[in-house]
Parts: sequence; C-alpha cells; structure tokens
Amino acid sequence: MKRIPNWRGGLAAVWMMTGLAAATGWVAPSMAQEPTLRLPEYQTVKLENGLTLLLLERRQLPLVSLHWVLKSGGAIADPAGREGLASLTAGLLRKGARSRTAGQVAETLDFVGATFEAGAGLDCASGSCEFVKKDSAAMLDLVADLLLHPAFPAAELNKLAKQEIDGIKEEKAVPEQVIGRYYAGALFGSHPYGRPVGGTETSLARITRKDVARFYEERYAPNEMILAVVGDFSSAELVRRLRDLFGAWKPKSVPAVRLDPTAAVTGRHALIIDKPDATQTFFHFGNLGLAYTNQDRVEVEVVNTLFGGRFTSMINTELRIQSGLTYGASSRFSPLRVPGAFTISSFTPNASTERAMTLALETLKRLHDQGITADQLKSAKAYLKGLFPPRFETNDQLAATLAELELYGLDRKFIDGWFGRIDALTLADARRIIDQYYPLENLEFVFIGQAAVIEPVAKKLAGDVRKQAIEAPGF
Amino acid sequence: MFHRVGSRNEHTGITGLSHFFEHMMFNGAKKYGPKMFDRAMEDSGGRNNAYTSEDMTVYQDWFPPGALRLIFDLEADRTRDLSFDAKMVESERGVVANERRLSVENNDRNLLGEQLMAAAFTAHPYHWPVLGWMVDIEHWQREDLEQYYQTYYAPNNCELVIVGDIQKDTVIQLAREYLEPIPAQAPPRPVTTTEPEQTGERRVRVHKFAQLPSLQVAYHSPAAVDPDYLPLNVLEYILLKGESSRLYRRLVDQEQVANSVDGGQTAHLDPFVFLFDIQPRDGVPVARVERVLNEEIAKLQSAPVTGRELQKAKNTAVADFYRTMKTIDGKANALGTYDMVFGDYHQLFQTVDRINQVTIADVQRVARKYLIPQHRTVAELVPEKAAAETKK
Repeated sequence: MKRIPNWRGGLAAVWMMTGLAAATGWVAPSMAQEPTLRLPEYQTVKLENGLTLLLLERRQLPLVSLHWVLKSGGAIADPAGREGLASLTAGLLRKGARSRTAGQVAETLDFVGATFEAGAGLDCASGSCEFVKKDSAAMLDLVADLLLHPAFPAAELNKLAKQEIDGIKEEKAVPEQVIGRYYAGALFGSHPYGRPVGGTETSLARITRKDVARFYEERYAPNEMILAVVGDFSSAELVRRLRDLFGAWKPKSVPAVRLDPTAAVTGRHALIIDKPDATQTFFHFGNLGLAYTNQDRVEVEVVNTLFGGRFTSMINTELRIQSGLTYGASSRFSPLRVPGAFTISSFTPNASTERAMTLALETLKRLHDQGITADQLKSAKAYLKGLFPPRFETNDQLAATLAELELYGLDRKFIDGWFGRIDALTLADARRIIDQYYPLENLEFVFIGQAAVIEPVAKKLAGDVRKQAIEAPGF
Repeated sequence: MFHRVGSRNEHTGITGLSHFFEHMMFNGAKKYGPKMFDRAMEDSGGRNNAYTSEDMTVYQDWFPPGALRLIFDLEADRTRDLSFDAKMVESERGVVANERRLSVENNDRNLLGEQLMAAAFTAHPYHWPVLGWMVDIEHWQREDLEQYYQTYYAPNNCELVIVGDIQKDTVIQLAREYLEPIPAQAPPRPVTTTEPEQTGERRVRVHKFAQLPSLQVAYHSPAAVDPDYLPLNVLEYILLKGESSRLYRRLVDQEQVANSVDGGQTAHLDPFVFLFDIQPRDGVPVARVERVLNEEIAKLQSAPVTGRELQKAKNTAVADFYRTMKTIDGKANALGTYDMVFGDYHQLFQTVDRINQVTIADVQRVARKYLIPQHRTVAELVPEKAAAETKK
C-alpha cells in the first residue's frame, strides 16, 4: 500500500467500530458552477416517549441502513473499576432477547445477509443494521426486540468478556492497535476520557450480569435514543411501524454523567511501554484538542489538513517523503462532547527514534514560527471541498452522520454551511488557530517499543518519564 | 489504473519490487517532478492511494469532475516518463522497509502468514510475500527498476477503469490524447511456473515474544477462473463467515476454544490457498483447536449440508458481493479486478447467478477435492515469554 488506509479524519468521533469510510458521490449540483454541498432532505420525528427518528428516503438501491445512538450509553458512564461495561452491554444486545437465543439471532441475520453491529464509544453507545428492503418487517422486529428486550444471558456475558480479555492480549502484540489507549490514559488521567472504552484485562473479569442489567435498566431509554434510517422506504409507513415497535417503551430519568472539560497538560511528560521484541518505536504526543461543537471545528480541520491531515502534510513530508524515516506520520483532533485529544503520531525503526522525534518537534515548531502560506491555504480548501462528498456516499454513512449531528445538538446547518466556512477562512484565522490549538511546550508523550532504546530519548524530551511493561494489565 | 504485475512476476533477489514500484510511481516524472504528483492532485481536491497484490498493482485516484484532465495528464506523465532519482530511491527504500516492519515484524499474524505461504508454495512465486524479503528490499538496484518499468508499465499491460460523474465521450477523447501516444512494448514473459502437487502435510512453527498462540492452516485451492472457485466461496460461508457459521459456532461459541475464526479464499490468477486463520483462547492448546477444525472439515466431506444452510450461505455471499459495490470506488475496483483476475469484467455480472447455481453436491464435492490433509500446510505461532534480543 502507498499509505495506511483511512488516512483522513472523518466527521465521526463516536462510532468506534466502523467510522465513516472513504467513498464518493453527492447530490450533484450543476457542474458549471462552483459545487455547493447540502445534505439531502430528511425528516425528524419525535415520538411521545422522547425517541428521536431521523428519516432519509433514498431509493437507488433496495437497501435500508439503520443507525441508532444512545446518548446515555457511552463509556463515560462506566463505573471506576468496571471499565468496558458500556461496551459489553452494547455487545451483548445481539446475544439473546426474550424469545430468541444468541444462535437464533445470528441465524436470522445471516439467513437474509443482514448485518447488526453494536458497540460503545466514549460519549454514547451506538449500533447499526443493514438489510435488504424485502426483509424490512422482520429486521425491524428483530432490532426492536434486541434493543428493548435484551436477555443478557450470564453464559454469553462470560463468553464475551473472556473473548475481549484475550482480544486485548492479542492487540498488545500490535502496537498501533493499542497506543491510542495508553495515550488517552496518560493525557486524561482519571477523567472519563482516560478510560479504555473496551475495558482492561482485569476490569472485564470483574463485570457481572447484574452490572450489565443495571447499566441497561438505568441508561437505555427512548428519551436518550436517536434512530436514523436511510434507504428505500416510505417515511409515513416507517414512522407508523417504528411507533408500533418502540412507542410503548417507557421514558426514564437517566442519571447524568458529570463531564467537566479537563485541564490541559502542563509541562512535558513521557510514558514508555516496553515491548522488548519491537523493531520500531511507535509514538503519540500532543495535548487537549477541541469539543465537537467548538466554533472553530472547520477552521481547525483546514489547518490540520496542512499540518498532518493528508499525504503532503508538513509532518508526513518531513518524516516520510523527504527522509524515509517512517511509513506514515499524521496529526488529528478527536472532537467529543468536551475537548478530546490532539495527537501527533508516527513510528520509526528503533535506531532512528531520536531523529524522528526531533524532526516531528521541529516541524511543529516550524508551524508556529512560519505559519502557512496563501498557496497552502488555497490547496487545503480545494482538498477538503473536493473530498467532502465521499464522506456521505452510502446509506450507512448518511445515517451515522445524521445521528451524530443530533447527538451533539447540531443540525444540517453544520454540513450545509461547511463550504462557506472553508471559503471564508483567512490567513489571519489560520494564525489564530495555530496559536490556540497547537501545543508546543506542554506535551504528553507516549512510546511503545524497546524501553532501553526509548528511555534516553524520552529523558531529553520530558522531565518526568514513567515506564510500564506491555504485558502488564491495563493501559 | 490496473497494471498486470505483482509479486507473481518477480524472482529471487528482486522480491517486493512490484510493491516498491507502486511507491516509486509517486516520486516524480518528467513533467511533474518529485512531490508534484501528490501536490497537484491535492491542490485540485483529489486524493490517491495504491495497492499491490500477488497478481496486480492498482493505482486509485478520487477527484472532483473538474480535475479529470489533470488526472489524465498526471497518469500519462508517470506512465511514460517516470524518473529514478537515486536520492528518491534510497528514501523510498526506507519507507518500504518501515512498511514491512509495521505490517510484518510488528504484526504477528502477518508474520506467521508469510511463513505459511513460504511453506505452502515451493516453486511458484506465491512463495514470497508481496512486500518482499527484507534483504531484497535492501539490495535491489536502479537497473532492476528501469527494466521493470519498461516491461510492465507499458499501456498494453494496463487497464483504466473510471466510474462516477463523467461523460463517456470525454473520457475516451482524453485517453486518446494522453494515453494513446505512449508506445506499446513487447508483452511481458508469461509466468510459466506451476506449483507441483503437494504430497504430504507441512508444518511450520514461529517462536516469538507474544501473549497468545496463533494457528493458520492453508489448503491449496483453485484459481479465480476455475469453475470450483464459487462453490468454494459458498463453502467458505458455511464454515467460517458470520456468527451462525459452523466453525464460529463450534470454536468460539460452544466450546469456547478460540477467540475468532477468519480466512477463506481470495481470487488469484494462479491456484492459491484456502486459509483458516484461528486465534486460540488463552491457555487452550493449539492442537485442540486444530482437532475441531479437522472434525468440521471431515463432517462437511461426509454429510451433505441442508438446503437451508446452503441457502443461508448463498444469501450472505450475495449480500456481501453487493456491499463491495456500495461506492463508486468499490464499483471501479470490482470491474478492474474481474477483468484482471477473472479474465473478463462481464464475469462480474454473472457472479450472483453463479453463486445461486451452487448445489449441495457441489459443496460436498469441493470439500472432498480440496480440503485434504496431503494438501495442507499448518503454521503455529508459539508464544515466548522471555524476549529475544532483536535490537536493530
């Protein structure tokens, strides 16, 4: 491959399992004019019990995609020591309901070639189901059954938890799969965003059926749910059907999770995860980023495109294109309900650890010292506008987008106004964004690799250096 | 753009060169010098990627309709006049070595898979990995690159697939203007090596610092054009696709001896392998997992599947087939792949009918023909607690 797939940061921050994949095609405006961008028309319906329905008819293919978001079901609600509870609760939804066993659910889905996925992110739980139009009645019944009447069989919990524990051990063999979790822990500490969404080897073992049932009873409620459906259906008919299926679900008062913005890291700190067989050093560094609803979201994306968001970005040019020190270097912001992480990341052979780190920091410094040029700004604008439509090509991408906007209290104006905000961005704005959002002195560093190689480098970078073995439970 | 060249066309000493070439194609040509290809494309709202397989090298561009002419100009420039600047070659050698470190040395599953294939194929070039052996990455020469370019990057060895908001006539006119003047070359030497029949099980072990063991089993399987390819595809769904598949139910769900099962066949020009990739649970002997796998294969050979199970496998196979084409990118990739590997893009439109024609007897027949112990290679990752000294 020329580059690591999924290079671009998408809109999606909440959907941890699939993300918004790359694709193409939009409601094409007249090609003679400057392209504009508008979300297709969709309908919002609020049921009496508080359930929000978002419906977008799209009939090119006989397919339907359904995406649900449960605002109160994210990992930020995990009790301390029970990390992974939100994730297990969502994962167990398909493992049995009322009159169906896990095996029957799997058989029903597979027989019609449908998919059903569910998982948790930090801010919410979410899931999706995709099926062929002719199976709509049976699939909607199934989804309602799984969401409203999950059985949470103890044997299935036991199985899933053990699989997840072994899954973590397996992932720890591949540094790029786990480094983000160590970085979140280092950056956010005891703040809910510091928690590993999927739990740890020890926390998962502690979770009981009672914990799962209580989490569901307390936190799964129609007034916390957004259900976005995109595809081949008639809205009037679908609303009737969904009202029949979900209307009797009783609203609840769900205990709110206290989620204060955390303070940015001050000073420089480093965490080394020792993996004695590593031939490369993997690193993440940065500080706090921004919230999903931050007024500078679009502007930050433009600047970040230039710094670390595309192939010819400053950081990839320095670390890969000009020096061959790595296969990829990038930077990204993870927008969440309150500010999530800003991360610069790459990896390099053991022997070039210091050179790559120095170069990465110099590049960050150069962004501050020299800023960006008018030509660069023009290029970033064209790039983002040219590649924005592919983010919304498929039914599932659109359904996830509608639900995510609703989750964060935004609406179509955020998408429809996107091109205008890009166009309006000036060099002075870019300077302000650099000063405000790109940390330089205060940085949290996380490394995975051979501690003996990394330690001397880390000690030059940071005053306080901690070490941990990769096989030690947790992150 | 699909170029009919992959690791299958390499030989000892230049393994990985096709993939390296995929990288060099972005490093400057006559009109658009170093870094200019990506810059020009990104400046116009476009983006690109590329991938190399055993059989082909594929370049992908995504762009707004207004950039169509630029894309032709960029593609023609690098297809006709690629430069081989010594400094760029050395820098890119580092990038590719790092890609290999990332996806093989620091990825146990891929590391094991590489050893599995090296054992399953002794004569045929599928023996070596697409990324190439590290020692070859370090040693290929500029002349190797030039010769490769001359032979394999000629227009007669390439196909262009374009899907989206375009006018057919405009595309043909641009192709005539930009691509037609590039001279054809003598066709590449055909790959004549075929893999001799395997006459007994082969076993490979990789000892490595890791927390969990891993098991991969490969059986020789037919090329994409073989009539048995789709029956094996249906068999793949019965055995290991979805939570209601036989191996998932038995290994992951009921006996809980594995964390995941994966694998199947992938379409190739020459006979390839049908893979079982199983992650055993912590503390479960790999032999136990292997025994269950062998039992399930034997069941499929001795007793016919039910009509319902066959129908379920077909339904899921068809749904997955359509899912690969939800995007214009997926459509372009499917058209090109079918034309390259299945011999004709029209095959794409017959796939659903052909899946639906697979019978109960077909499934049993291909299970008996291909999943036999003499044609099996078994690879096992043995976790070592103490770390080996691997500093580089």
